[in-house]
Amino acid sequence: MIPGLLSSLIFAGSLYLIFSEKLNRTIAGIAGSAAMVGAGLALGFYSEEAAIAAIDFNTLGLLLGMMILVALLEPTGFFQYLAVWAGRWSRGHPVRLLVLLGTVTTVLSMFLDNVTTVVLIAPVTILISEILGMSATPLLMAEALLADTGGVATLIGDPPNVLIASAAGFSFNDFLTHALPVVAAAWLTALLLLRYLFRQELAVRPPDVEAVLRLNPSEALNDQATARRVLIVLGAAILLFFFHDRLHLSPAFIALGAAAGALVWVRPAIHETFQRVEWSVLIFFSALFVMVGGLEAAGVLRALVGLIARANAMPPVLLGVAMIWIVAALSAVVDNVPITIALIPVIEGLGAAGVATGPLWWALAFGAGFGGNGTIIGSTANIVVASLSERTRTPITSALWNKRGLPVMLATCAVASILYVLTFPFLSR
Amino acid sequence: MKIGDCMKRNVVSIPETATIGEAAAIFTARHVGLLPVVDDAGQLVGVLQLRDLLALVMPDFVRLVEDIDFVHDFGALETRQPSPEVMARPAREVMQPPLFVEEDCGLLRAFALLRQRDLHDLPVVASNGQLVGIASRVDIGAALLAGWRTPPPGGAP
Repeated sequence: MIPGLLSSLIFAGSLYLIFSEKLNRTIAGIAGSAAMVGAGLALGFYSEEAAIAAIDFNTLGLLLGMMILVALLEPTGFFQYLAVWAGRWSRGHPVRLLVLLGTVTTVLSMFLDNVTTVVLIAPVTILISEILGMSATPLLMAEALLADTGGVATLIGDPPNVLIASAAGFSFNDFLTHALPVVAAAWLTALLLLRYLFRQELAVRPPDVEAVLRLNPSEALNDQATARRVLIVLGAAILLFFFHDRLHLSPAFIALGAAAGALVWVRPAIHETFQRVEWSVLIFFSALFVMVGGLEAAGVLRALVGLIARANAMPPVLLGVAMIWIVAALSAVVDNVPITIALIPVIEGLGAAGVATGPLWWALAFGAGFGGNGTIIGSTANIVVASLSERTRTPITSALWNKRGLPVMLATCAVASILYVLTFPFLSR
Repeated sequence: MKIGDCMKRNVVSIPETATIGEAAAIFTARHVGLLPVVDDAGQLVGVLQLRDLLALVMPDFVRLVEDIDFVHDFGALETRQPSPEVMARPAREVMQPPLFVEEDCGLLRAFALLRQRDLHDLPVVASNGQLVGIASRVDIGAALLAGWRTPPPGGAP
């Protein structure tokens, strides 16, 4: 009883500090996990060995490997190249520009970290819209919303997906067959909705189209040789992801192997490359694993599973739809990573109690992925475009996001729910 | 040689009450890079640089994008102008706190200060805080070079 109470208190306290932003999330995570292990040692419900065992190294390895590849690609100017290319191909037509930039960020964020993609594409977006003399707001919001939506389609597109795949044993191809179709429909809905919501801003005829045509994408690509090498390695890694199930290779091994290969081929100044790797994110994940492991060891999650299983009179389809909306609502206001990490043992517990968990995993992925679109703080990509826009003449406000982003979240979740109900038998497989 | 010996004593300055528009007109008429801002008593209260005014029309992306070599044409931005409201705002709002020295400041120290803060002009004040002169990097640098011994013709290594 006391271990359960104390561990819940530590976890809730850390979450409060993280979500209220009273403390940096990684600092709160480290402090919380130290407190959890301390409490576990004192009361005998958790040990250092158990804490280490609670860390999912498959998730960390995959994230680290992909982060290293991005860190190598970042300084080459490849991302700027793509954005400038999109700008030129749009020939200054606002709607075409929105579609092209949205597609570029989506495709990148299906394979790379959404935040990095947006951090690198957004400044060039501001550049293109200023040269054109149009507002950057529709483009910036579309990039964040479409990147977050598109990222749900692949195993490596989104941290919650990495976590879910590792826990549920889903392969890269499972995501392509189960998540991609739903995401494609949601993504198209989001794009059309954005086109409609921003119809006024996108109706302007930019005064100076000629200037955009004089942008030279190849000059934005500073280091073609390195970009080519990293892209070849990245391509090979993605190819291996398709077959990782049959080859019996873990995604983490493929990502770390690719990172090793790229590092040997490029031989960068390692100190600079590693400065671009987001170690604080990796430590935050580890800390959450240790804390949730403590909750599990103290029996809290078992009690929670018992409660849900008893209330589980509702049909499985409804349980899944409820999961989509509850997780989405939570993800709109708080980070979806802690939510996912905390819900994974709950779903596992439901599975042990005899509930079919296959569809629930997908509901978790959709809710966590699409929920972040709802508010300006819903996802890191949203925060990034908003804070970049603060340094321009037309900042994106929270009120504006509620008017233009929230409908996108509601629409994508609605599409996901409908398709979830229609494809439920298939998702159960 | 001290900075008092190479500075210009005829300083163009503006009062605290000047607007951004008035300051722009003085920059245009006098072709200077920096205007000291003085209060009623002639005390130096700040400096207004040409680039502080240009920052008002500088595109946001110049600060946000690391490399702008590939932008061959700034398009609509080339003709951007501050709005009449901005032009009517007091220059005080965009001025910087002054970096200044007194007349007995050494030349190399003066040059080093400018170099460190990436400035081009250095106001000089008397011991009572009154603005008495201004020296540019070129004034200070040329005065320093003038102190160098010229090598004999033919040149020893």
